[in-house]
Amino acid sequence: MFRIPLLVALALCVAFGVGIVSTVSALKATVGFGAIALGPWVAFPDAQTANTDPYAKAHRARAGKLLYGGAEGLQFTASIDSDGQKLSSGCSYDITGVTPPARFWTLYATNANDQPMKTDPALPGAINAWTVLRQPDSSFIIHVSPVAEPDNWLAVRRIGAFKLVLTLLDTPTAGSSGLIDLAMPKIVKTGCPDA
Amino acid sequence: MRSVLFAILVGLVGAALLHIVIVLALPQFTGKDAYSRVLGLYEMDSFFALGNEPGTTGLANEDPFLRVAVCGFSVSSGPARFLAKGSVPFWSLSIYDADSNEIFSMNDHTAVNGNLDLVMATPIQLVDLRKTPPESLAQSIMVEMPDEEGYAVLRALAPTDSFQEPARNFLAESSCEPFRR
Repeated sequence: MFRIPLLVALALCVAFGVGIVSTVSALKATVGFGAIALGPWVAFPDAQTANTDPYAKAHRARAGKLLYGGAEGLQFTASIDSDGQKLSSGCSYDITGVTPPARFWTLYATNANDQPMKTDPALPGAINAWTVLRQPDSSFIIHVSPVAEPDNWLAVRRIGAFKLVLTLLDTPTAGSSGLIDLAMPKIVKTGCPDA
Repeated sequence: MRSVLFAILVGLVGAALLHIVIVLALPQFTGKDAYSRVLGLYEMDSFFALGNEPGTTGLANEDPFLRVAVCGFSVSSGPARFLAKGSVPFWSLSIYDADSNEIFSMNDHTAVNGNLDLVMATPIQLVDLRKTPPESLAQSIMVEMPDEEGYAVLRALAPTDSFQEPARNFLAESSCEPFRR
């Protein structure tokens, strides 16, 4: 007697459950299509424009961030290291290499939800193109670690997974199509010190 | 048994439809998008310098070296003019419409004399401004605004602590006002 209503209820449950879960997970998983990935670094040069895809529009409406315009800069985010493993703040990493041409760059860490990591203000929680110490060939090595390191140290707190954000300001990278040739710094795990 | 499978199949088709509808409709009703947050500051027609901690609207200086100011504006009653000058190593400005689509962006190297002087106007207002150009707009960049409402984001770079003061002053002295002849 209740067969038909039960089947209708089942269909509705599947529709709403799968529909909502798939949408939320899709919007959480990525900013949209049109990503450029250079090693572990990912950027979305068109995410702020009108001709981006509907996923990017929905994502930016949910996140509510002030995005960078084309002439302002391009923001790269890394949530994995160069070996493809998730970044964990229990471990130390070395960021080595050079950035693509840009007038300026900044590097800082965020938590897994893209909120800036609150490090102790006395510790170096961010590094930029002026404050970084360079090798003679102008490349650099930045030690990302929860414990103090000599030379360039980017302090992180032990909060589990985290992301690194590298912002290139006034860069031709944003409008260039030959992105594959551009070199981004590598992120290499150097060890996981005990807590 | 077959009817249960059929119900699940119908449910999956409905889920796909719902997925598409939610993704397409989401920008209209989140209430958390950048334009709603800028309006939530209750500061129209002036640049509002954001703090380092997210306020009630959730907007903050995310990059530790960039100080950000936002301004919601409307060109419905007249063009909007953006002015800023000062000595910061880098500044940049983006104009977005109410749907957070980028309309225009520039930085200090693309500006005249390194100073910000920009007029946003509707196509009709632009025709009017070009027919009889006011003396004060001789150096201004004029950009067409497809919609009536939008917001501007002004960023000033402070690479070291000693630049915090100039960057703060740069944002404090910038203006975002309706233009009157």
